[in-house]
Amino acid sequence: MSAKTHHNHGPVGRVEDARLTTGAGQFAADWNLPGQLHAYFLRSDRAHAEIVSINAGQALKHAGVRAVFTGADAVRAGYIKPMHTLTFPGKGGMQTRAPDRPVLAHGKVRFVGEALAMVVADTLAAAQDAAELIEVEYRDLPPAVQPEAALAPGAPQLHENVPGNLALEAEAGDAAAVAAAFATAAHVTRLKVEVTRVAPNPMEPRAYIATHDARTDGYLLHVCCQGITTLRRHLAAYTGVPEDKFQFEVRDVGGGFGQRTPAYPEHGALMLAAKQTGRPVKWVSTRSEGIACDTHGRANIIDGALALDRDGKFLAMRLDWVNDMGAYLSPASMGHIRNTSTCMTGVYRIPALYASYRVALTNTNPVSSYRGAGRPDIAYAVERLVSQAAAELKVDAAELRRRNFIPPDAFPYKTPTGSTYENADLPGMLEQALKLADWKGYPKRRARTETRGKLRGIGIAAVIENTGAGQAAKDEVEIALDAAGNVTVYTMSKSQGHGHETTFAMIVADALEVPLARVRVRQCTPEKQHRLQGNHTGGSRSTVGAGSVCHLAAHKLIEAGRALAALELAVEPSQVEYGKGLFRSRDSKRTLKLGDIARTKPVSVVAEGKFGSTFPNGCHIAEVEIDPDTGAAEIASYAAVDDLGTVINHAVVEGQLHGGVAMGAGQIFGEHVVYDRGTGQLLTGSFMDYFMPRAGLVPAIKGAEHPTPSRVSPLGVKGVGESGCTGSLPAVANAVMDALAPLGVGHLDMPLTPAKLWHAIHSARPRD
Amino acid sequence: MYALNYVKAKSVKEAAGFLARNPEAKLLSGGMTLLPTLKARLARPTHLVDIGHLAELRKIAVKGGRLLVGAGARHHEVATSAVVKKAIPALAGLAGEIGDPQVRNRGTIGGSVANNDPAADYPAAVLGLAATVVTTKREIAADRFFQGLFTTALEDGEIIVRIEFPLPKRAAYSKFHHPASGYAMAGVFIAQTAGGVRVAVTGAGPGAFRWTAAEAALANGLKPAALEGVKLDSREFNNDMHADREYRANLVRVMAKRALAKLSGKK
Repeated sequence: MSAKTHHNHGPVGRVEDARLTTGAGQFAADWNLPGQLHAYFLRSDRAHAEIVSINAGQALKHAGVRAVFTGADAVRAGYIKPMHTLTFPGKGGMQTRAPDRPVLAHGKVRFVGEALAMVVADTLAAAQDAAELIEVEYRDLPPAVQPEAALAPGAPQLHENVPGNLALEAEAGDAAAVAAAFATAAHVTRLKVEVTRVAPNPMEPRAYIATHDARTDGYLLHVCCQGITTLRRHLAAYTGVPEDKFQFEVRDVGGGFGQRTPAYPEHGALMLAAKQTGRPVKWVSTRSEGIACDTHGRANIIDGALALDRDGKFLAMRLDWVNDMGAYLSPASMGHIRNTSTCMTGVYRIPALYASYRVALTNTNPVSSYRGAGRPDIAYAVERLVSQAAAELKVDAAELRRRNFIPPDAFPYKTPTGSTYENADLPGMLEQALKLADWKGYPKRRARTETRGKLRGIGIAAVIENTGAGQAAKDEVEIALDAAGNVTVYTMSKSQGHGHETTFAMIVADALEVPLARVRVRQCTPEKQHRLQGNHTGGSRSTVGAGSVCHLAAHKLIEAGRALAALELAVEPSQVEYGKGLFRSRDSKRTLKLGDIARTKPVSVVAEGKFGSTFPNGCHIAEVEIDPDTGAAEIASYAAVDDLGTVINHAVVEGQLHGGVAMGAGQIFGEHVVYDRGTGQLLTGSFMDYFMPRAGLVPAIKGAEHPTPSRVSPLGVKGVGESGCTGSLPAVANAVMDALAPLGVGHLDMPLTPAKLWHAIHSARPRD
Repeated sequence: MYALNYVKAKSVKEAAGFLARNPEAKLLSGGMTLLPTLKARLARPTHLVDIGHLAELRKIAVKGGRLLVGAGARHHEVATSAVVKKAIPALAGLAGEIGDPQVRNRGTIGGSVANNDPAADYPAAVLGLAATVVTTKREIAADRFFQGLFTTALEDGEIIVRIEFPLPKRAAYSKFHHPASGYAMAGVFIAQTAGGVRVAVTGAGPGAFRWTAAEAALANGLKPAALEGVKLDSREFNNDMHADREYRANLVRVMAKRALAKLSGKK
């Protein structure tokens, strides 16, 4: 089926923006329920300690306090076993060793910020005051903070059932083939890189209200999340409360980046409180709690080697990973292994691949998916290796890539790690990017920069990533039509700022050939939560999945309408044509408006679909200027050519790309969660110390599309939510390394802060 | 935040009287440091005495060869004031580089000077311009006012009323922003004053200080080359995960040269 979409509109502004930019959004903390109580969490101020005793006697006596909960309550309720997704067999059939995590710490605390008690009171101030009265006696234990150190013999042990702090050892590819290829290689490039731990920091802090209905023993949760279906599955697994006992209220969500997908301990703790007190219990995270306790992202160390033959053709690559998962396994931690092995070969034909993974538990906040969930990490590892190889061999970085691309006629391409890339035109994309970035004119620009006493570098990255798919059995979309011809679209995907209300409405309006204003999109509405299945929004999947089903549902509505119109027009359905909101009898020329078929009762259809992965790909080229006196770097230009398949709304897609590029650049230049290696104390607990990228970090991006439409779904779309940072992480880093290479500076790990760059430049230069 | 009482003062005099009677009360001006401190429960005053709205503290004027800036003047007001821009453009420029628009529209010069954050910008200007801090009790010369990390000559209950800046012949400020906080990682204010060249440094050490060796070196001409090899004692400089002492010392030299370049009209 070829999609006819996005042709009926000119540039479309986002439907949701009027609401969101005028303060009319409804976020989780905006809810207040009659009779609600307030929760405050007492959090560990140390990284690793036994809890010898907790005495809440004084806290319970404090005015306004209704209850205090501790780990003992969590264990009694059985809220101890969070879901995890490292469910595939590891090396030699090894099964993941998953530690328990009571929703309030029990027996031990394992990272700074871990909640060990919860006070519930009439006011937040009373709850917080009372929390200060809780007496906790700890017996301090030495912490294991850095993941390689945590895996070393003799390291402090976090969990009894996770010997050596090794949760899983896994592998992908063919070790023997790689060893054989390395033995014959003319050149081997080796590089150990770290993709640092970062805090996703969505603009909206986490906020929940839990309400228990004693009559049904069900729970209503007001939440911010990326979709209720996954959250519900995680919560049911964590608490043992069946999925059909959950109802959610979620309206606007201010950012997610993967961090808002999983069930958190706070959900479960609030459920305990709601059930015991019989009142709604509300909690709103502070920004400091968010940085310390909302799941972190990335945190991978990758020791890589790339073997090349005499002609600069890639023969084999080996990557040895250490994945820092923090103190517990998050329910969304599989990307670190699955996504990095799926796209391990990058955009290249590398005949032999092997990756090993050691998943480490450390005395730090848990790590989970974060925009790309492993895809930017593997792109960074591969693209740093390739640029490093080009520098060592003194080959143009674009030329080395050109020589090794998977050729267009090799698609669909089965990679050595077993995934199948659908389609791409990598040489064509590269040429377009080189032109857009004026690759040939670079030496002149560099000379001009040098006359101003600065260093300039250029960096390129060609990347591919798996998007779409998802763990739900299928995506379902319901479309309801009323007599006025208004169409309401129901989906279980959930925008966190992505613009589904616009994109999905365009898809439906295009299919029905009606004005956009006729179509309204509603996400995760309570009345549909147990009617419709679907994936949460994450993994760049929503337009591929739910968006495609919107298209199918619109066509299903037309078919249903054709049958109803045929009755009304007294002709055979085959004699009814549809177009531009009208059913028309071929012979009689009589017409019915779309809404007319819903005159006696509303018409509603449910469509479903299940789609495989799409593989957006792109070529990003960054140029940086570095002030050698201060080490300050700035992005001088940024060009991005992306193959995102068919694009529905160009402004929405550009917004996703720009945000992604800025996020990647932010990580390269400063974002970094730092724990003190000796004590496990969080050193970047606020924005005074945690670098957030600001708008000025990235200049106007020169962007272009180089689409090869996907055939996975009827729309031809590929995922876009994560592409930006997958491209920018390696492109920007390569540019900085290129600028420093003439000084003899080797690889530097992110974040490339002014101080780090200045030291590198300064120690490379003779002192004056 | 702990529960406390909020008092909206009708005048500076009333605020001073209240502080005298309530030793655990705290003054609230812009609140840009105090409010986050309270939210984090790092302070527990009995009262907040709000003086942020008092018009008597917001005056900006030139009088008798001095620029008078009321303690309640917000950074944005100083940055955009025609009076300040004409009298001491470097001071207006400095104010415009503090924080972000939200901070500049709340934070005040009096609050910044009284707090004496080691990375704040204003202390460099107050020190570099040999300004006088006028309080409800007395006048304090800048050289005696700043006493290291969050410490000043202010006594309990003493309120800054205004800062008086003698007009310099020329002045310039150059700042390297802390990548995360936006405060000064190093900021250098250089002024040619009636009493000679003054070089004040903020951000690098435990508090704003005068780089006297640089002042001596520049006495015979404000040339960047004069700073080569000038001694800079960095033993007390901040040394943290963002920047070590060596880097901060380098930034002080680079910012000083850049301030000099600004003085001579070169970017």
